[in-house]
Amino acid sequence: MTIMLLVPAFLLVAAAIVLIGSDSSQHARARMAAYSIGAAFVGAVAALYQVTTGGPLAIRFYDLSSVASFAIPIGLYVDRLSAVMMTLITGVSVIIYSYSIGYMYQDRHARRYLAMICLTDFVLICMVSSSNLMMLFLFWQVLSYLLYVLAHNHSHAGTLVGAFKTFTLLRVADTAFLAGIAFAYQLYGTLEFQELFVRAAEIPIALSLWPGMDISGATAVSLLFFIGAMGKSAQFPIHLWLPGSLFAPTPVHALLHAGIINAGGFLINRLAPLFGLSSTTLHVAFVIGTLTAVLGATMMLAQNDIKKTLGFSTIGQMGYMIMECGLGAFSLAVFHLIAHGLFKATVFLNCGNVIHKARQEPHFPYVDYQADEGGLSRLTWFTGFVTTLFIPLLILLVTHGVLRIPLLESQGTVIFLFFIWITSSQAILTLTRLRQVASWKVSAAMLMTLLFIVFVYLGAAEAFTAFLYPNPEEVASYFKAADLPDWMFDLILIMATVLTIASWSYLYLRAHGRTVRMPAWIEGLRIRLYLPFMNRLYADEFYHLLGNGIMRLVHQLDKRERGWSR
Amino acid sequence: MNDGAFVAWLLAGLPLLGALASFAFWPNPARLKLSSVVWSAVSLGSIAGLSNQLVIPPEGLLPLYLLPLTAMVSLLGQPPHADHRLSWITTLVFLGLGLCVVTSQPPVSSVASMLLFSVVALLLYRHHSVLWPMSWWGIGTYALGALCASLSLAVDTPLSSVASLVTSAVLLPLMPFHDGHLTAVTRLPGNLPSFIVLLLPSIGLHGLATMLPTVPDVVAWTVSLFALVGAFYGAVKALAQTRVRLLLAYSSLSFFSMLWWFAAATRSATPRSALLVGTVGLATSGLLVAWQVVRTRYGDDVDPQAVSGLASGMPQYAVLLSLLALAAMGLPPFGVFAGFMGLLLSAPFPSSGGLVITLLAWLAASWYIMQMVQRLLFGLRRPELRYADILRAECAALLIVVLVLLALGLAPATLFAPDQTMSATDSITGSVVWTKY
Repeated sequence: MTIMLLVPAFLLVAAAIVLIGSDSSQHARARMAAYSIGAAFVGAVAALYQVTTGGPLAIRFYDLSSVASFAIPIGLYVDRLSAVMMTLITGVSVIIYSYSIGYMYQDRHARRYLAMICLTDFVLICMVSSSNLMMLFLFWQVLSYLLYVLAHNHSHAGTLVGAFKTFTLLRVADTAFLAGIAFAYQLYGTLEFQELFVRAAEIPIALSLWPGMDISGATAVSLLFFIGAMGKSAQFPIHLWLPGSLFAPTPVHALLHAGIINAGGFLINRLAPLFGLSSTTLHVAFVIGTLTAVLGATMMLAQNDIKKTLGFSTIGQMGYMIMECGLGAFSLAVFHLIAHGLFKATVFLNCGNVIHKARQEPHFPYVDYQADEGGLSRLTWFTGFVTTLFIPLLILLVTHGVLRIPLLESQGTVIFLFFIWITSSQAILTLTRLRQVASWKVSAAMLMTLLFIVFVYLGAAEAFTAFLYPNPEEVASYFKAADLPDWMFDLILIMATVLTIASWSYLYLRAHGRTVRMPAWIEGLRIRLYLPFMNRLYADEFYHLLGNGIMRLVHQLDKRERGWSR
Repeated sequence: MNDGAFVAWLLAGLPLLGALASFAFWPNPARLKLSSVVWSAVSLGSIAGLSNQLVIPPEGLLPLYLLPLTAMVSLLGQPPHADHRLSWITTLVFLGLGLCVVTSQPPVSSVASMLLFSVVALLLYRHHSVLWPMSWWGIGTYALGALCASLSLAVDTPLSSVASLVTSAVLLPLMPFHDGHLTAVTRLPGNLPSFIVLLLPSIGLHGLATMLPTVPDVVAWTVSLFALVGAFYGAVKALAQTRVRLLLAYSSLSFFSMLWWFAAATRSATPRSALLVGTVGLATSGLLVAWQVVRTRYGDDVDPQAVSGLASGMPQYAVLLSLLALAAMGLPPFGVFAGFMGLLLSAPFPSSGGLVITLLAWLAASWYIMQMVQRLLFGLRRPELRYADILRAECAALLIVVLVLLALGLAPATLFAPDQTMSATDSITGSVVWTKY
């Protein structure tokens, strides 16, 4: 039980070590604090072991029967989901903090910065181990402000604009979250997670939006929570704060992209039983997630700045993660956010070095002389074809024919298989860009990639699902709730299949110097779309105009009204 | 005279006695200020010691504790100067009258209200300037308040209820009776705005708590409509302001209007209402004190747009101002958030549309307060400005406000009065917005 308290306590101690003391010992204290964060990580691992073997742990510093009498009921609840998140956050934090010590060395405000990193970790840990919605919201909002503070260099105009944008956009989503809490309490009379889920399932409530238009209580509440999650996880159209915060120190980005941005995915998983009651919310999540994934990835391709590229890559990945939630694959989303968090933290920490190196070496990054490289052999193309098209088909047939899994009745299984296919195709397409001359190596790499992805999805992801949600019926119920209409599901599958095959064909033909006959309007569209995507669909300008419009309206109202400000 | 009445007289008399005693130090501003602070502290101590002998009002005892505390904070935040002497003495007089209103029964409390209105109006008249013609509206509003306070004594119900309602609407600002609040916060001299911003709304809430259960449905409905308009209006006006005092006046109007909306819906003013009023008043008071710190350094007429980069030159001030701003915009874990959430969760809200407006007003606070703080603290250091961090007294004043707001955000709402909220089951069945099937 004490481990639960020790994890956040160690992080607070780390912040105190950094803050309290003389300037002369600042660097030594900064190093010492890293051990405290390390201890928090060890504690998180121990908590993970404890909840795995002994079930969830809970500490409540309030009376459960009178939750309304306390404005902010403080308590901790650590189950497997919380413990996994705690381990991820503290693990990544150890690396990021250690990196930051060197990165911020000799910075005038290094002490404040390092303390803020520790404090952010503390807030994140408290957030993922909150025992009720109110406490979760408390730390959720504190996090919004910390993101503003972590921008660090507030004397720089660009940083300030980005930080303010971050804060205001997150507050918009926070307001929806708050409305969700108010509604949840009004409808179900509790903010305790387990009680809320039970009551939401037991008390069907219909809210009348206007005559003839009803919405279920679970849908209304979960939709509001989803908007809250959209903010932190940078979902379209409130994603702009993420690229807007690029002036923050690089380790902040690592923490942001590996830890903070996962908050949305965590919230949806924490409230999975509530989301599982509303097909509408899951479908909305699917649409928003898909849109964000597509737009994020496309905008990423058109960026010419390493941080923005990575930022939009994260937005795309978060969209992918929310899409998984929308499909009912909640555990898969957590698996995804862990993998993405570790990957993106590494990339971001390295991107600082790349920028630094590029400033020192004028020829860096090196130009990719494509003309000097050899093409891919027939063996490579054959392997690519087999791994991305033939083997998935084989798996599908085996699953359907031999294992007798009723694919047509279970969208969930198809979704798993589909993700295997899409991910392996994506990975293999990336491999072809390596343009290795010794193509048998590429072929081997393709096969290994496919095997790895299949193993991860079928083995690790399944095991992880069983770990997070031990009750298979619960998992099945989520998939069931997320079921799309058959025609839509089939249409999405067919479209994605056609797109993947078309991409392969296009790449193959282009690589062999063949002319790809494209209608002129497609070629024109490709060129015309490049500029808007490079400019991030002018969303910054749109928000700027919107803000200016609101302020113009406010000033007009102010002038018309007889009052003090005249 | 029974014990309760004696204690009430004692609590009200101590600050008045302090005002008289402080006159002895009139030639020495520093000692006069010290004396005023000490008498405020004595008043706070006496309330802590004697509160158990008072009849607990419906809104609880929190306002009683906050009144002397805010008086002390507002006094501490002022630099010792001969020009401020009258405002320090007046602070103690206001404190005495305020405590008298809250602890006494009618007609004494009504007479004290009238006196308070009269003194405020008189002060506003004394500081009236032709450059601020709008202050006539404020003076007029307080005159109306005094008239209504006397009417509530002289006439029978339902007229007396309406008169009490208007009195409360002048004190705890509600559109269209908010001009008094705006005038008081922007035009009163010295430290008085930072005290009055808590004092008058607290007294208004006290009147509201006793009067609301008696008002007819149509009046309550009208009040809730005005409250929603007021919340939106306050937020919009605050967004348009560049002058700090005016911004804070409109901001507090917006938050107080939210309270009116909840109060009109539930027909009661509970300890949770007192928490919201008290913390909004205290946070605004803290921000006014913080603004006074800037005025002390750069002149009374300083343009906020001409000040920036305070964070690098005045780090202590920056930290405290940031925390105060967080509290004032209703972020956790501070008291304003706790009060707001307490109201959101304690009673069924009458309409979803009203909730949306309330939440929008709450959201707007993040915008205008953050913008104000960002403008002051961040940006480039200006070579023409001399940056000197806060003095001990100023630091103590701001720190007290921050800590009290933090404590009120974490402490149970039942600390200052027994809980009187409805149960969760009642809240579901009592709503008209949804239907169960």
